[in-house]
Amino acid sequence: MSNQSVIIKSNRYGLVVLLDDQPDWDTIKNEVAEKFRSSDKFFGDAQMALSFQGRKLSAEEEAELLKIIGESCRIQIVCVVEENTAEEQAMKAAVESRRPVEQHDLANLQDGRFYKGTLRSGQVLESETSIIILGDVNPGARVVSKGNIIVLGALKGNVFVGAAGNESAFVAALSMAPMQIRIGDVIARSSDGAARRKKKADETPKIAFVENGNIYIEPITKDVLNDINV
Amino acid sequence: MSEVIVITSGKGGVGKTTSTANIGTGLAKLGKSVVMIDTDIGLRNLDVVMGLENRIVYNLVDVVEGNCRMKQALIKDKRYPNLSLLPSAQTRDKTAVTPEQMVKLIDELKPEFDYILLDCPAGIEQGFKNAIAAADRALIVTTPEVSAIRDADRIIGLLEANDIHKINLIVNRLRMDMVKRGDMMSIEDVIDILAIDLIGAVPDDEHIVIATNQGEPLAGDSSLAGTAYMNICKRIMGEEVPLMNLDVNNGFFAKLSKLFK
Repeated sequence: MSNQSVIIKSNRYGLVVLLDDQPDWDTIKNEVAEKFRSSDKFFGDAQMALSFQGRKLSAEEEAELLKIIGESCRIQIVCVVEENTAEEQAMKAAVESRRPVEQHDLANLQDGRFYKGTLRSGQVLESETSIIILGDVNPGARVVSKGNIIVLGALKGNVFVGAAGNESAFVAALSMAPMQIRIGDVIARSSDGAARRKKKADETPKIAFVENGNIYIEPITKDVLNDINV
Repeated sequence: MSEVIVITSGKGGVGKTTSTANIGTGLAKLGKSVVMIDTDIGLRNLDVVMGLENRIVYNLVDVVEGNCRMKQALIKDKRYPNLSLLPSAQTRDKTAVTPEQMVKLIDELKPEFDYILLDCPAGIEQGFKNAIAAADRALIVTTPEVSAIRDADRIIGLLEANDIHKINLIVNRLRMDMVKRGDMMSIEDVIDILAIDLIGAVPDDEHIVIATNQGEPLAGDSSLAGTAYMNICKRIMGEEVPLMNLDVNNGFFAKLSKLFK
């Protein structure tokens, strides 16, 4: 098994499996299994596109190899790209169309739940779906959602929306004075001493969203809402 | 049936013990039979504020461990025979008692008293859990400072999680002159954050310091703080008492300007 009749090459979006066309089919199969098993740790359960090269494969043979790969490691094969297409481009398109929002995530983002009551210091509310809070989020409290968060009250604590890395998520509140807002991987914190200096928090309803990698907080107007995607 | 009230705050030094002593005294003055329990095991001080430290023979832990009978550990107040104190132990710590034991102990006291006041230790650990285990009702003491309010907020959350929903707020050490200048949060600001019902506000009054040091609670006397505590006691009993005007200016210039009025 020391021969190199199977070589795995990878690029950003997937794997290219180079198969030698000399050895017999069983040797190829064994080696594919071996290679993928030993690289299981390295790839983890990444989603990848795959292409086979160097050997003409029939449809059955290809299916057989995919089955072997599926049994040997946790990689999720998103698609198999035909040889001779511009591999990386094709793989990129295939993988990115699946990411960043997976099918069930999408359903969750559209979904929401209500929470009634004041969230107090030390309390954490987490949800796979969007959250609408009928009450205040006090300093020291934390709300985390993979979708959006709307606070029908004063937001004075920490919020984290788009927790799965979705930067199109938003936070809206009747009174916006958060300690920290995190949208996807972008974090903004309140200016130092702002909460203490200000006698009363601003009472205009506001919305926070990401644009060009920065978090903006703006009054809720038609124009702003038009730019929001849900 | 008696009502079990825990006096708590989260943060230390905001006036839990002073409030307990004064509310206990006030309720006794109004003719109710009251027992105050110091649940701050290891940091005993309610007895000092009440001026009863020289009478302690047995304590709460002795009762729980069966070293004495309840009657032996209860200390009668100097001024009001219908007011009693169950002191805490000084030589042990919070782990000496469990919440279940506290419930049992308080159940034993219920038939004999109208009000059972629990002076809660600062913090949210074992001592806090012991103190709230048997409570029907909670009084949150806070000063108008962000740190105290933050802790009070956390405490309210924990009380609600423990199914205590009758929660009232005491805003302590209020200085109206500072509130007027905008240097201190007003009662309204505090209520706005904590979103619970106010049962009373106690002004920052030097009489309190004097009374505490002398071991003579001032609830019901003519001082501003004494009146404020008495009003709180009446509200605990269900009476409707309007909030008093704390804005009494005793400064030199105020007196001077009165002369020219």
